[in-house]
Order: sequence, then structure tokens, then C-alpha cells
Amino acid sequence: MISLFIDGIICGLQLSLLAVGLTLIFGLGGVLNLAHGQLAVIAGISAAGLIGAGVNVPLAALLGVLIAGASGLVLDRSLMLMAYRYKGEARLLLGLVLTLGVSLAIEGYLNYSFPLVALTISLPILNVTLFGVVVRTTAIVAALIAILTLLSLFLFLKVTSLGKAVRSIVQNELGAELCGIDQASVRTFIFILGSLMAGLAGIAQGLTASLDVRMGMEFTIFALIVATVGGVRSINGTLAAGILLGVVNVFASFYVGTYLTFIILLTTAGLTILLRPRGLLGDWT
Amino acid sequence: MINKRSWPDYGALLIVCLILALIPLATGGSPYYLRLATLMLVYMTYAVAFNIIFGHTKQLFLCMGALAGCSGYLSVVLIRELGLPPGVTMPLGVLFASSLGAVFSYASVRRGLGVIFVGVITIAFTLVFHNLILGLRVLTSGEDGIVTRGLGFGVLEHRLASYYILLAILLLSLLLYHFLISSRIGLAFRALNDNELTAELAGIDVTRYKVLAAFIGSALFGIAGAFYAQYNGFISPDIFSFVSVDTPVFIMVLLGGMGTLLGPIIGAGVFTIVNELVRPLGYLNLLVYGVFLIVLFLLFREGLVVTLRKMVKLHIP
Repeated sequence: MISLFIDGIICGLQLSLLAVGLTLIFGLGGVLNLAHGQLAVIAGISAAGLIGAGVNVPLAALLGVLIAGASGLVLDRSLMLMAYRYKGEARLLLGLVLTLGVSLAIEGYLNYSFPLVALTISLPILNVTLFGVVVRTTAIVAALIAILTLLSLFLFLKVTSLGKAVRSIVQNELGAELCGIDQASVRTFIFILGSLMAGLAGIAQGLTASLDVRMGMEFTIFALIVATVGGVRSINGTLAAGILLGVVNVFASFYVGTYLTFIILLTTAGLTILLRPRGLLGDWT
Repeated sequence: MINKRSWPDYGALLIVCLILALIPLATGGSPYYLRLATLMLVYMTYAVAFNIIFGHTKQLFLCMGALAGCSGYLSVVLIRELGLPPGVTMPLGVLFASSLGAVFSYASVRRGLGVIFVGVITIAFTLVFHNLILGLRVLTSGEDGIVTRGLGFGVLEHRLASYYILLAILLLSLLLYHFLISSRIGLAFRALNDNELTAELAGIDVTRYKVLAAFIGSALFGIAGAFYAQYNGFISPDIFSFVSVDTPVFIMVLLGGMGTLLGPIIGAGVFTIVNELVRPLGYLNLLVYGVFLIVLFLLFREGLVVTLRKMVKLHIP
């Protein structure tokens, strides 16, 4: 029971890590990035390739994450630039279609070129005991990565002036512009940050289980579910929703099986959009 | 009903009908190409349906495969489990798909969801459908799929006859489209497509017309899905998946031109040929889909029909 709960929390932290990037980019750029999961896959596959080429594991992981960030930069500076020219609904639709196209293109390319590459990271010490329960070391490391990243994100948004600029744009684009905040560069910065976080989530997936080239769409969907349940513009909400759904995911998979679990998660997301558009926890976050 | 302004539409439909009717001759008796042409007809019907839902009322339904699949699976499973005749189960499947579409539309219009959230909800439904089919192994045989047997009396079993049956369905849906768009309903669609608020102020019941468009479009998905299921001789979650239905149909409608009579058909025809050319590349077809989607949406948003209209200065429906 306790071990299931710990697994749930760890899974939830990973989900939050994946979804927060999506939330940030949506809140700031007004683009729902359907290629988000593919960025996680890019990081994981690059890391796996580098490890295969003899690079040591931490460095390969770091490079993988940086490659995801660079891909984010390229995406933002090329295609998203066209989407940013529009406002409101038109931008949303254009962003959705463009990132769907990018997602398909990346998935097709990776499946064609590296069909058998997978990332599985193992550590020298296999298990540690936590609260009297045996937990895999890799899962602990993945959870630590997620916690540290999310904590630094919070500090960044609360304390630094760039973080405050980010929050001001989320609240009111025009107001931020009037205060002299350069939206375009902050937007690019956040797109890179979100991509880096997706990359970290990909590495974390390689730690807890295994990551292969076919998982991009699944990552995007999970991020989308968590982000909608958390309220697509709220970062705290996304974090809470991630942990909640992680626990639900692990318990439901254990008791009722994977298919039904996925249906439960998707239905939760659908109903949240219909019944509480500001997020399941929208009122107190 | 028949007025002068409809003549170009009828002329175009006649030409389309003639061309499509002659295609089996061009396949030279090759079963492979005949099958390809038949699949093309199914996708053309899907494209006409999506054109009604997205092209005319801006509802981004990303659950086309799931709607067709609901109808297809329901009709096949009911035949197998309860022994009902196809004549009963297929209408039930179609009714189910169209009611689902109408419910999605009603819920999202009522909640004032933007185009993107309709997209998210319907993608979620696509995945729910996929997992249901995989999970309900007892009824659907999961990934292995079910063998279907046609409609009895040899209908939809003979290849050439099936082609003409599906052609008839396509032509009927095109006629339905024509009457829909040239009637008062089409006028309402045009008004609410321009600006929902002003349409509402002009006394148009926006909810009713959006739900109507979703209902009719989903019914067409259901009809095409049910006939396809019987024709194909085999159904599996794969043939109704997001990648094999939603993505191609979206590209077809964009390519041909949204909101036109011939656009979806021309788009589907061109896309079928391109898709056949990239088939040897295997997984790279996803890359081609992706690039197509990006390029079309950025540079070619009006589609082939409107571009042609400008080039030859002729009214092409």
C-alpha cells in the first residue's frame, strides 16, 4: 500500500515535470504545443545514442536535455514565429495544427531512423529503503530531478525579475507590453525552458522505466491531461494535478488494469474541461 | 428547389460521378488498385463529413476515426453477439455515432469552448475509444480485430459491386451537402462562420445549427465507417486510429479547400496518390503527413479549389 503510494507520488512528479512545460508555453505563448512529448523523446533518444557511443551517463543525459532545449529554440524561432503573428483563436488553431505537424514529422523520422533505440538508465546501487519500503534508486533519482527542477522553477518565477515578467505576461499581455517587457524574447526563453523540462522528463522516464521512440504521442497526451485537469494556465494547479493523477494512475493500474485507468484519466480531463474549465483545483490555486 | 444557381454544382457532380465511375476500368482489373480506389471513396466521404463540421461551423472534431469506428464496431459486434441482421445494426451504429457527435457539439457550444478545447476533448474521446476497443477483448478481440462478412446476398463481397455501392454513398453525401449548403441552413452556417455573435444577434440559433452540422457530419462518418467495416472484411482499432483517419482527412480537406463542394474530393484524390507514392518509405509517411500539414496550413490555407478559381477565373463549386 505504502509502496504503491510512493510509486504514485514519483509518477506524479514526473507527470508534473512534463506538464508544467506545456502549461508555461500555453500560458505565455498561447500555443498548445502538441510536439511537447516528442521533445522528451528527442532528449531520451539522443542520450541513449550518446551512451551507446561511449559518453558517460550523466553527461549524455545533460547533452540530451540540451538537445531538447535547442530543438525548442529552433521550433520557436521558425514555425511558432508564424503563429505569434496572429492573436487569440487564430493563433491557437495555427499553433495546434503546426505543432501537430511537427509532432508527426518527428515521430515519423525517429521511427524510421532509430526504430530500436531505447533509453534505460541503471545505477550501481539497485534499491534503498524509504519509510520501511524498498524503493529503486533510479526512481528516487528521477523524483529528485523532478523536485529540484520544479522548486527552482518556483523560485525563478517568484524571485527573479525575469520570472516576474513571465507571470505578468500570463496575467495580461497588453499590460506587460506597456510596462516595457519584450514579449517575444520572454516567449522564446519560456519555450526553451519548457523544452528543457520536457527533456528532463524524458530522462526521468529512462530512469524509472524505459523510453523508446514510439512514446512521444503518449507523453503529449499525458501532459495534456494533467495540464487540463490542473487548469491550463495555472502552474500550481498543474503541479497538484500531476501528483493527484500520478497516484490515481498507479492505484488504478494496480487494481483495475491499464486500459480502464487510461479511460478514467481521459474522462477526468474531458469532464474537467466541460464542468470546471479553470481546472479541477482552479479555485484554490 | 432546383434553381439556376445550382447548375454549376450539378454539372460538377456529374463530371465527378463520371470520372469516379470510370476509375475501375483504369485499374485494369488489378484487385490491389481497385481496393485502393474503394478506400479512396471511403476517405472522400469522411472528407465531405469533416468539411461540414469543420469547414462550415469551425468545430475541430479530432475524433473522426473514433466516430466511424463506433459505428463500424457497433454494427459488427451486434451482428456477432446478438445475431441481428446488418440492416438493423448498421442504422443503430450510425445513430450512435451521430448522437455522440451531437452531444459533443452541444456540450462544447453550451460551455462556450474555443476551437482548441473542442479539439482536446475530441482527441481525448479518440483515445478513450481506442482503449475501450483494446480493453473490451471479449467483445472486440482487441488488437486482433474481427472478421466481417458483408451484408449477405453477396452485397459488399464482390469487389466491383462494392466500389459502386460506396460511390453511391459518396454521391448521396455530396448531394446532401449541396442541398444543405444552398438552403437556409447553409446561409446560417455562413453567418455563424463569419461571426457567431452577430449571427446570434441576427436571430440565428447558433447552438442549433452547430449541433445540426455535427449531427449530420457524424452520421456521414458513421455511414462510411459501417460500410467500410463490412466491405473491408476485417476491422481492427488500427483502421480507425487517429493516424489512419483523422490526420489524412484533415490534410485532404485543407488541401482541397474548406467550405467547397469539390475541395474534399479533389484533396482526397490527390492525397491518395501521394500516400501511395510514399508507402514504400514505411514510417516516413508520418514525416510526409507532418510536413504536408505544416506547409498547407502556412502557405496554402485556401486549398486547391479556391486557388484554381482565381487562376482560371471560373466559378468552380
